[in-house]
Amino acid sequence: MSYKLPDDKDLDAMIGIVGKEYATNNKAITASYLSKSVMGLESQIPDIVVRPKYVEEIRKILLYCSAEKIGVSPISAGLSGGFACPTIKPAGVMLDLGRMNRIIEVDTENRYVVVEPGVTIGELWAYMHKNYPEWAPPVPDGAPPASTVMGDAIDRGFSLYTSSVGPQGDNFMCGEIVFPNGDIVRTGSWALPFAKPFYKYGLGPDIWSFLMGSQGALGVMTKVAVKIYPHPKFKTVVVWGMSNPQDMQDLTLEIGKQEFGIAHNTVMVQGGNYPLVMTRWPKDKVPHDYEFYEQLGISKWWMNWECWAQTQEELDYVVNRINEMAEDFKKNRAKDPDSIKPQELHPKQIASRLKKPNKIAVPYSFWEAGFLFITFYTPWNECAHFAEMYNAAMEKYGFPPVMWIASIERCRQAICMPIICFDSTKQSDFEKVQELNRETTEYALKQGWLNYRPDPYVHAPLTYSQAGMYWKYLRTLKKIFDPNMIMHPGRLALP
Amino acid sequence: MAKTGMERLKELEKEIYKCIHCKACRFAYSGEPSRDGIGEFTGKQGTILYEGMIDACPAGIEYGWEAFWNAGKMWIARSILSGDLEFSEEVRDVILPCITCGQCSAQCENKIPTVDIIESLRAALIESGVPMIEKHELVDRLVKELNNPYGGKAEERFKWAKDAGLGKFVNNKDAKVGYYVGCTASYRQIEVAIATAKLFEKLGINFTLIEEEVCCGSPFFRIGAVETAQELMRKNLENFKDLEMVYFSCAGCYRTITIDYPKWMAEGEKLPFKTLHAFELITTLIQKEKIKFKANKELKGKVITYHDPCHTGRHFAVDMEQEMIKKSKNLMFDMRKVNKMIDEWFDKPRVILNKLEEDVGLKFNEMYRIKMNSMCCGAGGGVRAGYPDFSIRTASLRCDEANAVGADFLLTECPFCWRNLDDANNLYNHGMQVKGVLQLIIEYNLLDILEKPTEADVLG
Repeated sequence: MSYKLPDDKDLDAMIGIVGKEYATNNKAITASYLSKSVMGLESQIPDIVVRPKYVEEIRKILLYCSAEKIGVSPISAGLSGGFACPTIKPAGVMLDLGRMNRIIEVDTENRYVVVEPGVTIGELWAYMHKNYPEWAPPVPDGAPPASTVMGDAIDRGFSLYTSSVGPQGDNFMCGEIVFPNGDIVRTGSWALPFAKPFYKYGLGPDIWSFLMGSQGALGVMTKVAVKIYPHPKFKTVVVWGMSNPQDMQDLTLEIGKQEFGIAHNTVMVQGGNYPLVMTRWPKDKVPHDYEFYEQLGISKWWMNWECWAQTQEELDYVVNRINEMAEDFKKNRAKDPDSIKPQELHPKQIASRLKKPNKIAVPYSFWEAGFLFITFYTPWNECAHFAEMYNAAMEKYGFPPVMWIASIERCRQAICMPIICFDSTKQSDFEKVQELNRETTEYALKQGWLNYRPDPYVHAPLTYSQAGMYWKYLRTLKKIFDPNMIMHPGRLALP
Repeated sequence: MAKTGMERLKELEKEIYKCIHCKACRFAYSGEPSRDGIGEFTGKQGTILYEGMIDACPAGIEYGWEAFWNAGKMWIARSILSGDLEFSEEVRDVILPCITCGQCSAQCENKIPTVDIIESLRAALIESGVPMIEKHELVDRLVKELNNPYGGKAEERFKWAKDAGLGKFVNNKDAKVGYYVGCTASYRQIEVAIATAKLFEKLGINFTLIEEEVCCGSPFFRIGAVETAQELMRKNLENFKDLEMVYFSCAGCYRTITIDYPKWMAEGEKLPFKTLHAFELITTLIQKEKIKFKANKELKGKVITYHDPCHTGRHFAVDMEQEMIKKSKNLMFDMRKVNKMIDEWFDKPRVILNKLEEDVGLKFNEMYRIKMNSMCCGAGGGVRAGYPDFSIRTASLRCDEANAVGADFLLTECPFCWRNLDDANNLYNHGMQVKGVLQLIIEYNLLDILEKPTEADVLG
């Protein structure tokens, strides 16, 4: 595909749509949208940035750019689907949707909230805390409060409730999307003009699911209806430590498989290894040997169960059941029984872990200067294999073996996230990261493990090269909505 | 040999590359979306919910584009270093309207020294040949000619002292203690200068005003005119070199001489005197029970609130943090210590304010955004001179916050904050009185000295 490089005439057209205050090709401003970190290293400076406020403005922009064959990359306001999916080659127009920041509707009976793309998780959390304290939205844990609800949705990310209720994509009921052909489509029950967004699989085959995971490569989402859940007062965190990922995996699976009464109350089940603690500090300012962390009471591996319940009695039941099952596992089935032990948390530590949203995932740049999450989905009972493989690879390439793993839908899937802490000032480190990425992706695909957010140059081509028929239909469907293939060109190897 | 702005920017490369564009830096209380507050308030600049995290980057709020929020500027700095972007007037016009309040630095989990980076970026920009904006050129020219950016005559720098009967302290050769007044208090907010000097006099402190005092250089370090700033620094170091202790009433001067000078001095060179802000002395004397305040019928029941100047608040706190990061061998432990130091630092002015509440009958109500999360007054970073409309709107946002807690008096400890807040107070009819804390104490004759401070108290 060839794309037009936008010129002054195109800028004038954008200004004609949104006004001169909200469209620019100012080089300093366009450069400020770069982001080579966290989820991808491919960011390019866009040629024009436009900040629309209304759906109709987006429709006009897409129609114009489609006619002129100018690439368009939408970002919400935060990291997921935002600065983690920036413009890549061949750049073009970036749509910054941060001005579309309305919380449109809260319905506590049908339990959803309708938001625009620019609503951050911090804003929505604060709004619910203030106005609907009995209810909470599925905000991602660890992602900074400036991340957006919609960005997390379209990546099918991980959130506060995904360990209990399923992938983040399942927390979204209906959406409104503008396609480059100028159509505005509402999905699920929202496809009917007077329907509430109460059912995502509305009128026969489901278009919404097709858009999930698209990273802005199919259209511009302008509204989503997000499920909300009760926000009970009775909460705590249970932690068990162990020496190896196999015991972490197996114990967690035993608890997850209980499903009713226990696993549904463990809203967030996540763990990892001690370098997760170590690499939050500068490399030369913190001990590297495990003995130091052992003295602090940190196991080599651990798993947290964040438990929410409607009553203290219910909470006690869940906590006791987890502890009983862990003791039983230790006694009868553990690979290294002596290492399995509960980690007693100080009330302040519990309060800190319960705080949502938080910035837990941010300080991994402190280690050197930059980090990258390369995230995979595996069946839960393969996450230990993934962790061992990936940690060995990270060490081989000279990076600390930092691994975070969380349960999705009561251990049906694992979201496995190695954190590559590296020095992004060094080109050689960039190259090593990409070599590591390629090597591990090739291995992972052979195991049948999937990327959570395929990057455009390694994950997407490698993945689709093994799923040619699927890719053929993705491409065919995309052409229906985006005949000139202008949406986020290159992002998912589409085209 | 002093470093150039570009050399300094390159030194900061690793810090710049730590930015992951998470944008926590746009908010106050970025890690506390559930923080309880004082609720919604409609002020002169609109309605704000003072709860949870709130947008608090003045430039981002004013201009909206990503480039004006801190994270955008970090990626502009990175683009300059990587060669993806060249210095230009477009770059200048994006990086200059930043008050360098440091809110971003306070929020950053990767501890990026954002103010240092922005100031170095500005210095490198000016070195590259991009012209200053006209208003900055004017103050640069004035300070080169007259040693102050206001165009005041050198011989009138201490006119306020002579007029207030404090002339005996000018060039008082016997004193070991100096009072560095600064340009704003000398030529504009003379109330602050008079109050501070009278306070010293009442306390029996033998101090001197140095007639050769010149601008501390703060505005010029901030706008990238570091050659001008360093020239001023050299003059002040020479003029004050024989003193043991120098007191300040201006947050900007205090920050500049205490934090900036050592960074720009030759390697191994140290400040020849100790430094303290006058409020630190008052805090110490209260804690030692050497002073208290008198009850006052006129003030009884009135509400005071306190604006933490960025330069004495967050900038010192961030400096403590950065120093600890440099020195520490185990930051996991040491960060707890520095957090405790920072808490104590922000409590210092509050010792005075709480004592005023206790003794005078005033009521001290805190605004929502305070201490590390304090909202800027809008004056610093060369913004008041360069972008006055933006500056005054920011001050009005801060006045709204003071109105939200029912303040009769908005107090601060910086004449530059004072000036901007008072201008906004008058322009937008916020209906408060803006004063320096020490000014309030002197103007209402509140000081009750139980025991004169010793030389050790005064020399720190």
